[in-house]
Amino acid sequence: MAQLSLQHLDKIYDNNVQAVFDFNMDVKDGELIVLVGPSGCGKSTTLRMVAGLEDISRGKLLLDDRDITQTPAKDRDMAMVFQNYALYGHMTIYENMAFSLTLRKEDVNVIHKKVLAAAEILGLTSQLNKKPAQLSGGQRQRVAMGRSIVRNPKVFLFDEPLSNLDAKLRGATRREILLLHKRLKATMLYVTHDQTEALTLADRIVCMSMGHVQQIGTPLELYDSPNNLFVAGFIGLPPMNFYDVVFQDGTLKGKGFEVELSDEERSILSGHVGKELVLGVRPEDVSDDGALPVKVFSNENLGMNTLVHGFMGDNHRITAKLRGWTSYKDGDTIKVRMGRKHFFDKQTTNAIRKGEK
Amino acid sequence: MTQVLDDRQIQMDRMRYVKNTSSSRLCYLAILLNVLYFVSIYKSDMGSWYYQFLIGISIVYNLLFMLVAFLASEGVKNYKTAYSNALIILGAGQILRIFVLPMQAHSAVVKISGTEVPVMGNLQFIFCILMLLGSAACLIGAAVINIRKSKMLAEYESAKAKEAA
Repeated sequence: MAQLSLQHLDKIYDNNVQAVFDFNMDVKDGELIVLVGPSGCGKSTTLRMVAGLEDISRGKLLLDDRDITQTPAKDRDMAMVFQNYALYGHMTIYENMAFSLTLRKEDVNVIHKKVLAAAEILGLTSQLNKKPAQLSGGQRQRVAMGRSIVRNPKVFLFDEPLSNLDAKLRGATRREILLLHKRLKATMLYVTHDQTEALTLADRIVCMSMGHVQQIGTPLELYDSPNNLFVAGFIGLPPMNFYDVVFQDGTLKGKGFEVELSDEERSILSGHVGKELVLGVRPEDVSDDGALPVKVFSNENLGMNTLVHGFMGDNHRITAKLRGWTSYKDGDTIKVRMGRKHFFDKQTTNAIRKGEK
Repeated sequence: MTQVLDDRQIQMDRMRYVKNTSSSRLCYLAILLNVLYFVSIYKSDMGSWYYQFLIGISIVYNLLFMLVAFLASEGVKNYKTAYSNALIILGAGQILRIFVLPMQAHSAVVKISGTEVPVMGNLQFIFCILMLLGSAACLIGAAVINIRKSKMLAEYESAKAKEAA
């Protein structure tokens, strides 16, 4: 069990490209932290710095209050699971799982016990005599996890472990990782660009963009109270609808449309009269029982929900996630209502919340 | 594991997943020693009698020996008892070979420019004997280890099957 502290971490490459800027975070014992963001945002670089696979240009990394900034990867007591599994094709699953312990020259009986225990946790006992090529992608990823488990590391690091799997298998393996975390109660850092993985797995999410941490919080905090436009747009599927608006005369005025506000919403925006703002509304907060006309151009039935895409005002796209099965046709006009609204300062892109000016 | 295993049980349980590398490595060593032996034989100047009668058979036998020993090494790696028999036969063959070439060559002489020269000197003779004996010991050792391990594994697996039933 371990506590990890990342203090003002910077990563600057030799060509002066800075990949990570002032990364600060304390990971509690047994916590599962998910680093999420688009490709190239610095999440994998951060993970690799923690693993010791990349040098830390500035800042400190503490593991249980011990400075490990300069400690070589092999001495950090961390295990990493990679996207491409990194299994040895000529070895059996048993040998793959036992490999790191064999290198450490541990007693063969101890190795055997550890491998069997890990295999049982991961449901791999019947596969131990097979070669990696005989297993499915999900099973191979479980072997990669098993190889980490046998080492009993202080921290588990996952670098997009599910990216090579198809959607169905990804869901199943995701649940297995969650179960594994509950069973081992281990400290885990998990990198993904998939927000569904982030929302379902994380105790806390770190949302990153262009090397900067945009927000750290629980999945609900990021979903419900995004700090800025980036987080609001990145978290949530389908993404949030955004509109440039101005707060005037107690309403939000956009190009070709006007949105009525509640008293509470007016009080939030009271300090922003006449300013350019961005209105954000999640598709699931749009319902078809309002007064705002929307011309439908696409109706996607997903079974439990229907995604209705349309235009409102001066050709502003809007997506509504409606409950149940609807059969709107191209060109139909529906009248929508916007429920929960998010407001952002257009210049700073920061969220406007109650009591903030 | 819910079941608590003692060290001996762990060793046997381990055999279900780990190959019998000790036997297969002994086989590889036997092949290597055999190579050293025939390289030593082929470099000798033994006169025409050897080349006329035995060199062809010797080459074919060595090739066959290496093939069978290698195949058997793969067999014993997977705890297959039948391959132990092949290894024992090959081992016995290596001992018999001491009496075929080295013994004859050691006592034979050839005339070179009118002088009588022994075909195989004492040192080379001892070397050849050691290589053949070593090779035979490795083969028989590999076979014995494999028989013992595969018997243990079979007993362990049948006990486990009974337990499960």
